[in-house]
Amino acid sequence: MNPLNAFIAFILAIVSSMLIDNVVLSRFYGICPFLGVSKKVKSSLGMGIAVVFVIVMASLICYPLFELLKLAKIEFMDTVAYILVIASLVQLVGLFIKKFSPSLYKSLGIYLPLITTNCAVLGVVQSNTDQGLTFLMSLANAIGTSVGFLIIIVVFSCIRARLETANTPKAFKGLPIALITAALMALALMGLQGLFSGIQL
Amino acid sequence: MEILWAVLILLGLGLILGFGLAIAAKILHVKEDERIGEVEKRLPGYNCGSCGYAGCRSMAEAIVGGKEENIRKCRPGKEETNFKPIIEYLDQHPNEDGSKVKVHL
Repeated sequence: MNPLNAFIAFILAIVSSMLIDNVVLSRFYGICPFLGVSKKVKSSLGMGIAVVFVIVMASLICYPLFELLKLAKIEFMDTVAYILVIASLVQLVGLFIKKFSPSLYKSLGIYLPLITTNCAVLGVVQSNTDQGLTFLMSLANAIGTSVGFLIIIVVFSCIRARLETANTPKAFKGLPIALITAALMALALMGLQGLFSGIQL
Repeated sequence: MEILWAVLILLGLGLILGFGLAIAAKILHVKEDERIGEVEKRLPGYNCGSCGYAGCRSMAEAIVGGKEENIRKCRPGKEETNFKPIIEYLDQHPNEDGSKVKVHL
């Protein structure tokens, strides 16, 4: 594959895992922070950036780690090793946010350590190695998926901020209307399905 | 043989990550009121949340910060083992300006 084609494949992989196979709205990973932290735009932005950092770093670290596990013929230990890496990264992010933005640390609350159990993170890393993606493609997958999460959670929190003041029926106030909104967003993203299926590289 | 490798690799990974986190914790250390930790130590430590705070740590922060005066809100807490030591401790360790942290049973 020549460099230009490789570059195009890299960008396509990012866009496709960002929008077409969006992690929240078509694979239904990471719903917990998606609903939990999306009340305020600022905290959802912080959450999204924390998740981007954790996913990208975890894929970067876990790729060579999986090679090491393969060398020792203990691929079956992959999930345990990944969880170890992810948990440490989340701790690091927690320390960092506590130091530089105590208010964000407060507003994220329990959802910050819960990034460890955000299945989007483990899902990306696991699917990278399960599909046997190359290093570049794992990186593209990680960037695409995590930025997709960031975009969707920020867009969703903006909509929810508008919904706060909207005249919704009393029974739909709060979470019900948020869930309906999420479903509509998922439907909208379904329209992009198969966008790149005709492209051959 | 595989078991040995599994143990060794995960042990090594754990050690590296643990040391990394320890160094990061040193660098990113946040200065906090040491009384919060001391009060937290004297609370039951169940993190049950029945006081209305997210856990014992948040309750301790509220007590030391002067936002919570009624430590009876901690339901599993016992008079002898929890409440009296906290009141005693806060009595001996006043705020920087000399005023005392207000707590009552």
